[in-house]
Amino acid sequence: MGKEECKTMLDALNKVTACYRHLVIALGSTSDSQNLREELKKTRKNAQELAVANRTKLTSLLKDKNISKEDRAEYERLWVLFSSSMELLEVDMKRSLEIGQDFPLKVPTRHLIQTGMTGSTTAVASRAMSVQNMKYDADSNIDTADLRDLQSEITQVTQMVEEMEMNVQVAPWAVEAKQEAGAELKSNMSVGNSSVGVISICEEEPKEEDGRGGGRDAGFASICAAIGFFLIITVALVLGYLVVNM
Amino acid sequence: MTINTLLVKEGCPQEQMACFRKMEKVIVAMQDPDMGMKMRNQRLLITVIPHAMTGHDIITWLIQKYCISEEEALHLGNLLVKYGYIYPLKEPRSLVLRRDESPYRFQTPYFWTSTQWPATELDYAIYLAKKNIRKQGELMEYEKERYSLLHKRINHTWDFVVMQAREQLRASKQRRKADRIVLECQEQAYWLINRPAPGMPNILDAGLERPNNLRVTLNSDFYKREIEACQRALGRNRVKSSNCLEGFLKHSEQYQNHDPIMQGCLPSNPWISDDAAHWTMNADVVPVPTRLRVERWSFSFMELLSDTMGRKEFMTYLEKEFSAENLCFWQACEEIRHGENSRISEKVNEIYKNFLAPGAARWVNIDSKTMYKTLEGIKRPHRFVMDDAQMHIYFLMKKDSYPRYLKSDLYKNMLAKAIVPQETKKSVFPFMRRQRHSSPSPAQAATQATEEDGRVKEAGQAGANA
Repeated sequence: MGKEECKTMLDALNKVTACYRHLVIALGSTSDSQNLREELKKTRKNAQELAVANRTKLTSLLKDKNISKEDRAEYERLWVLFSSSMELLEVDMKRSLEIGQDFPLKVPTRHLIQTGMTGSTTAVASRAMSVQNMKYDADSNIDTADLRDLQSEITQVTQMVEEMEMNVQVAPWAVEAKQEAGAELKSNMSVGNSSVGVISICEEEPKEEDGRGGGRDAGFASICAAIGFFLIITVALVLGYLVVNM
Repeated sequence: MTINTLLVKEGCPQEQMACFRKMEKVIVAMQDPDMGMKMRNQRLLITVIPHAMTGHDIITWLIQKYCISEEEALHLGNLLVKYGYIYPLKEPRSLVLRRDESPYRFQTPYFWTSTQWPATELDYAIYLAKKNIRKQGELMEYEKERYSLLHKRINHTWDFVVMQAREQLRASKQRRKADRIVLECQEQAYWLINRPAPGMPNILDAGLERPNNLRVTLNSDFYKREIEACQRALGRNRVKSSNCLEGFLKHSEQYQNHDPIMQGCLPSNPWISDDAAHWTMNADVVPVPTRLRVERWSFSFMELLSDTMGRKEFMTYLEKEFSAENLCFWQACEEIRHGENSRISEKVNEIYKNFLAPGAARWVNIDSKTMYKTLEGIKRPHRFVMDDAQMHIYFLMKKDSYPRYLKSDLYKNMLAKAIVPQETKKSVFPFMRRQRHSSPSPAQAATQATEEDGRVKEAGQAGANA
């Protein structure tokens, strides 16, 4: 069915957009490197291919006059998802151009911002490209050479977005989302990881503000402390009694 | 397509952009491997994250690099924190620079405030959704409100928000734990600035929108106007600031005693004591004027003429000297200048009959050139036709009659007669006492102190020399 295909492709595009944003955030910081620039380039190209594929598919589906009303509503919803994705991609591409220009790599003294991020972004890029291992084979002047490609790609993407808005008559405000508020909590993903995140962030956030979030842990800790205290008192009393009686 | 793409505004107002560029230069200078900031490690339970710095380090570095005082370094550092280039690690919601051991870290360029692409509603929604997942629904109150508001506003892309939030969290899972923590702190700091909590100052607020004159077409008309403006500016009369400041100083000294706020007003300030004696004593026409008022007449000719009583006195004096027609002429010209449009020609004719026509009853002495010009102008009378003649007579009176008036007996008697009102007695009860003077200005107190010191020193030296 066209719908399933569309959804898979959109999921793929969504994934690549998220990874691309993650990579752009690392630009200009101490995570930045030759490899990062290459990863950005490859992810970008992948994103563009997916975008074009999605657009062709969705446009053909929407132009079809003999589809049912529910189908049409569904395709419109998918279209809105697609255009939001493109919006994010476009902004991130422009931003990567801006930051890439400000922070060239091949200068005698690099002034990358020491943000505390020192790990590599290889895993993120592999996820974006859906490969097991990333291969790095770019030239050493990728940071400047790539920028020119980037500029032309940005123009391409902007043109595509404009064409989309012109050609397809979809009213975004008429689309109703399937997920209601708080839907993201219903998924059982990353529950384990998020609790780890809570512990490490709680150290940096003042407890009195985030009372409820840290309160649970704080309550548990205080109960443990109270129990330990009474235990120690009991032991001390017993020992004292024994000493006195000796 | 969200509605945001249609309203593409400039990232941040241009007025702030220049400041951001300067701040960025400072931040980049701090990254220098030799002369930059000293970095420390931040220890969190088991993870160690590099690139932390203490507030004290930041201030020391700023003092050394730019040779400024500690106060200025603190202010500069505060600006860097306030605008999001450095964020605190211990208390993220309090964007202040503390000069102690509290840790700070640099913000990544993606989240810098000078970006051309401001934070959109979609981005904020994705961030709130991510936080929701991470914290299992434990958002702050205002975040919950904003979440539901966004859910209503951009409901059509809500599926995308949820999908993207999940994907972004999955992507960040691919990094090591330390980097993940840094990422979360960075994002939090970014959103604390771009969507501040209610009650916190919004630093991106630029105030009222000024008209956007930035997009000027640089064509020949624009340059012609620029050239004309510059030529006019060149031709303007300029006074050296040293001269005009001296003049201002003299004026202030002269009027110091006459200012009711600086010196207090006698008998009492009507606004405070509810006694209108001050106003009745200084009304336009009184039998006996106050001394301060009569003294002011000697400051300048215009002071004398603008005071009704002064003008009357001056008229009396001129009548004695048989040159009253000058003042009458001047008054008549003033009436034309400030009077009704319909009566202008009528008044001009009267002036001509009384003052300018050959053989007139009160003929005024104007030089021939001005007379010729005025007579020509009378043929087509307008509000300012008498200006030249009036100016001539004004300067005549000012140079000639006015100094003599000030030396005359008439004026001196007036001065002697003038009353100095008694200050109303302060009541006995201390809490009924009202303030007569404004509180003394610190500048005055400082100059008095230095004067006293000077006098003491001179007395000391004189005593030593004796």
